[in-house]
Amino acid sequence: MQLKVSKQDGVPAFKVQDLQTQALREKAVLFCVAIAIPAIILILWETTTRMGWIDELFLPSLSGIVTEFLAMTRKGYAGTPVLTHVIGSLRRVFTAFGIGTIVGLLLGLLMGYYKYVRAAFYVVTEILRPIPPLAFITLFILWFGIGEVSKILIILYAGALIVMLNTMAGVQSCPKDKILAARTLGANDLAIFLYVILPAALPSIFTGMRVALSVDFGILVAAELLAGDIGIGYIIQDASVFFNVEALFVGILMIGFFGVLSDFLLRVIASKVVHWQG
Amino acid sequence: MVVHMSQSSAPASVSSLDQHGQAETAQEIVSLDAVSFGYSRKRLVLQDLNLSIQQGEFLTLLGPSGCGKSTILNLIAGFYKPLAGLVTHGGEEVKGPSARRGVVFQSNALFDWMTVEQNIGFGFRFQSLSKYEKRQRVDTIIGLVGLRGNERKYPYQLSGGMRQRVAVARSMVVQPEILLMDEPFAAVDVQTREGLQEELLKLHEQVAGAILFVTHSIEEAVFLSDRIVILDRNLGGIAHDIKIHLPDPRYTAMNRVSDAFNQYRTDLYLKMKAIG
Repeated sequence: MQLKVSKQDGVPAFKVQDLQTQALREKAVLFCVAIAIPAIILILWETTTRMGWIDELFLPSLSGIVTEFLAMTRKGYAGTPVLTHVIGSLRRVFTAFGIGTIVGLLLGLLMGYYKYVRAAFYVVTEILRPIPPLAFITLFILWFGIGEVSKILIILYAGALIVMLNTMAGVQSCPKDKILAARTLGANDLAIFLYVILPAALPSIFTGMRVALSVDFGILVAAELLAGDIGIGYIIQDASVFFNVEALFVGILMIGFFGVLSDFLLRVIASKVVHWQG
Repeated sequence: MVVHMSQSSAPASVSSLDQHGQAETAQEIVSLDAVSFGYSRKRLVLQDLNLSIQQGEFLTLLGPSGCGKSTILNLIAGFYKPLAGLVTHGGEEVKGPSARRGVVFQSNALFDWMTVEQNIGFGFRFQSLSKYEKRQRVDTIIGLVGLRGNERKYPYQLSGGMRQRVAVARSMVVQPEILLMDEPFAAVDVQTREGLQEELLKLHEQVAGAILFVTHSIEEAVFLSDRIVILDRNLGGIAHDIKIHLPDPRYTAMNRVSDAFNQYRTDLYLKMKAIG
């Protein structure tokens, strides 16, 4: 008996720990691969620009961009502190995104739930959907002036349309059997809407919000390029005019940074709220 | 072994009388009178069907695919309206879904965003019971279906069998007068299915309502039912209406292997075969 047991022990056992370390190792390798390419690009960028192989006007060195950024934080840009530019841009994009999400959500819920509302808005949304929002930008300036209002409205419009369409799709995709199950448990229309249809639509709503936010950042820069004297888009525009390529890159990287950061935050919120998804 | 066998085959009718002592006087709870249904008048699924379900009875519908088993269930649930004829529940016409008629779907139809507890207690949101009473009943049924310890989990954290337990508990806890079950255990493995069947029989003892069950499995039908209705092909209506008498308690495993069980199974198998 004893002998048999020890013999079995001799057989290479299927260890859970081995599998765990293997999975960990694989993760580490994947992580290395994921950061290897950007790292190589950065190294190439710095060496080629530092060695003077590429004209600084086409591509400034990384260290030059960092120096420019540090200088900007001290002196500001065009007489305005960098923080004012950043806050100006973020306030525009988040005001527009916030209001746009609420408007899009309400319209989307109504359109998803009531087929008459859907029919009423159908032609209008189908016409507007394929038109890039930027096509309206000069029209908006004409209607609402060159100030904040037209900038915020164009961003708001672009985001609201996306949130609306995703919300509508989410409401319509609610599984029929869940609605029927709620009804056979005594739920009325309002309860079904609140406890079944709305939660079932949440994953779509969050997807729409994430797409809308990234589009909003794009529209923001375009709107600021066109008019105004504050904002990251303004820095980009102004730096381009004066061939200040370092400042141009600072502006581009700032937009990228805040875009990625806000998408990350939204994704964290989404994973908490719609935890049952994936 | 021998003792069990003799017990299960010979006095079967006696023990079933114990359980269904009032079977003769039992009241009809749901009835279909000359019901026809189809997606158009030219393509009927059911034609002039008559079916009556007694209070507290466990009735199973068997029959070839497309014979209209699920359609009958959907008509009683109030999801469909008959093209002709009348579906009544407690003497009143069925006009739409109601909390008096529970439904368990094959897909379980759980609310993924609610915990096990919240799913099971969902029907109580629309009933005027005391909070204490609601909690008490939810807690009792969680124990009965073996979900203890999973109260705070979400459906995606459960196995298929566990999810179906939640679905059954959610429908049963509000004590519907009839529970409609459309192949509820078709998507789980055999062992889990047997466990679910036994729990369903125990629940049926506790909660007095009738059960209308749809399945493709003859074994499942014999093990669970007081009565089995076999539907014919091509709008043929009811081909057979068979009472099942197996010894109490119905959920004992012996009832799956007894002579009586095998006789019923053979008989039903041949009847189904004849229908084709």
